[in-house]
Amino acid sequence: MSLKAYWQLTLAQLRIFARNRQVIFFSLLFPILLMLMLGSFLGSSGGNISLQAYVIDGDESTASQQLIDTIGQQGIIEVVEPPVTVTDLNGALERLKNGDVQLIVEIPEGYGQSLEAAAAEAAGGSGGAEAGSQPPAGVNVYYDETRMTTAQVGLTVINQVIDGISKSLTGYEPVLAVNPEGVQGVQLEYIDFLVPGIVAMMIMSNNLNGVAGQIASWRERGILRRMQSTPLHASTFISAQITARLLLNGFQALIVLLVGYLFFETQVNGSWALLVMFVVLGTLTFIAMGFIIAGLAKTPESAGPIAGMISFPLLFLGGVFFPISNMPELLQPIVKLLPIAHLSTALRQVMNVGADLTMLWPETLLLLGWMAVSFIVASFTFKWE
Amino acid sequence: MANNSPIIEVRGLTKKYNGATVVKGIDFEVRKGEIFGLLGPNGAGKTTTMEMIEGLRRPDGGTAIVAGYDTQKSLNKVKQVIGVQLQSTSLFELLTVKEIMQMYASFYKDPREIDPLLKEMILTEKKNARVKSLSGGQKQRLAIALALINDPLVIFLDEPTTGLDPQARRTLWDIILKLKEKGKTVVLSTHYMDEAQVLCDRICLMDQGEIVALDTPQNLISRLKLEKGIDLDLDTRESNLEDVFISMTGRSLREE
Repeated sequence: MSLKAYWQLTLAQLRIFARNRQVIFFSLLFPILLMLMLGSFLGSSGGNISLQAYVIDGDESTASQQLIDTIGQQGIIEVVEPPVTVTDLNGALERLKNGDVQLIVEIPEGYGQSLEAAAAEAAGGSGGAEAGSQPPAGVNVYYDETRMTTAQVGLTVINQVIDGISKSLTGYEPVLAVNPEGVQGVQLEYIDFLVPGIVAMMIMSNNLNGVAGQIASWRERGILRRMQSTPLHASTFISAQITARLLLNGFQALIVLLVGYLFFETQVNGSWALLVMFVVLGTLTFIAMGFIIAGLAKTPESAGPIAGMISFPLLFLGGVFFPISNMPELLQPIVKLLPIAHLSTALRQVMNVGADLTMLWPETLLLLGWMAVSFIVASFTFKWE
Repeated sequence: MANNSPIIEVRGLTKKYNGATVVKGIDFEVRKGEIFGLLGPNGAGKTTTMEMIEGLRRPDGGTAIVAGYDTQKSLNKVKQVIGVQLQSTSLFELLTVKEIMQMYASFYKDPREIDPLLKEMILTEKKNARVKSLSGGQKQRLAIALALINDPLVIFLDEPTTGLDPQARRTLWDIILKLKEKGKTVVLSTHYMDEAQVLCDRICLMDQGEIVALDTPQNLISRLKLEKGIDLDLDTRESNLEDVFISMTGRSLREE
């Protein structure tokens, strides 16, 4: 591979991109418009993550009612009345297992009394150090372990409420400022779900359609054939293509991320470096797939539809607009193997939850696998003419 | 090397497409420093023949040797010493002349300087113009400039003047004749007889994948006069290669 040729081809491709203003404009405009439309229509209309909880009040005192109200006031957990058929904790737990509610808060009998006792001791006690000697009033929280994300949000909120109550009882003066971001960080809106999905979609369609369409058209117009008559190696040509695409499409994805971040207040709770890593990984995977399609397509006219045929279902199955968990059970195993699903999940986890690589290694490995397999297949299917 | 020694040797070259044989085991030699014309109607096999010699298509039989290298065995050596202008190449429309020259130059070990080459091709003024804005003649001259960027021994020009206006054609003829002056070997395909007559030292007449005649333009015409002399002498015009072709195949060059 000649470095000089690699550099010149990369430069040529970047120049072609930069001078093709229309393509750049529309490939940026579309995702931003989508964000604007879906974000403003759905973002405000109850698209928030909602958590419903039953409260089983075994105490029925003013103190327990106060606790229930405080939980409701946080705006994250919605306290709902269990149906009349649910009479005890076991019945409620059945509902939890079925996914009708996400949390059950059980306030035991004697909750109010133990609070009063604790307050009295704190007020009359000799010192703050002994204030905690009274066994704390126990509030049981039941959650679904298979839905850890929602459960964690709920637990955080309840912990905060309980913590607040205990502190106010003991007359606790905070010495350290509480960092409220922990809770705000998971107060997700639809736009937070949407933007990573749109970025994943952009990475997929720009690269699939872009690579496949361009290579097929260059082949048709004899541009590749002319290069084939020089000592240029296919590997040099392909490397340059990948580099230029990576720079351009990666950059475009970052612009959309920034627009979401700056204008739609999309949260980025995780590290930007990790986000960039997934953008790169996704771009490489779909470039390779674009090369495969370009190899399969006999004419540039057929490259578009083939790319569309692959990318369109992926848009709906890959968790771009709707959570994968909303998909029919039957499709789930397939959906969970799709590269777009892993890309959108990974981007979402980094942005929404602030996940790090230790949590995202399955997504990383699967994307790496797709990338490797695609490049191997692409290297066999690529042809100049 | 003596001026008459062959730089290209073609032996039994054959190509089949979907069962049809489009080049039927042809043999010829191209001498160093000559302009060698492949003349024939569309579909005669000219382009396929050239592309097999250039190594762009794999022959189904026979060999082609360029400057001592077999195109099937040492293709990379061949590519270093040839320059190619394809019949239907389009170039990157959004790049400038200079940029595209630099790009092609980077594919070779020892490329020529760009500026003198542009001057020879009368493109100096267009150095910073985008390919898109060039006229047909200018695009064709750029294609030839790219074919010359590695200072090749042999230059293949596939119908270089097709679709050009008369003035642009003349300009291109001058350029091709200058290549010969510099000692380059040119293999040129065309279906214009006047072009072949003006430019070529020897002409290979092809029809339906076969060589029907191979000689200098003068010999081809005088051979025709000898065979059918009286008929043609009655004509006021000079007989030309068109007449040769019609008499040999019974068909016109520009048919199909």
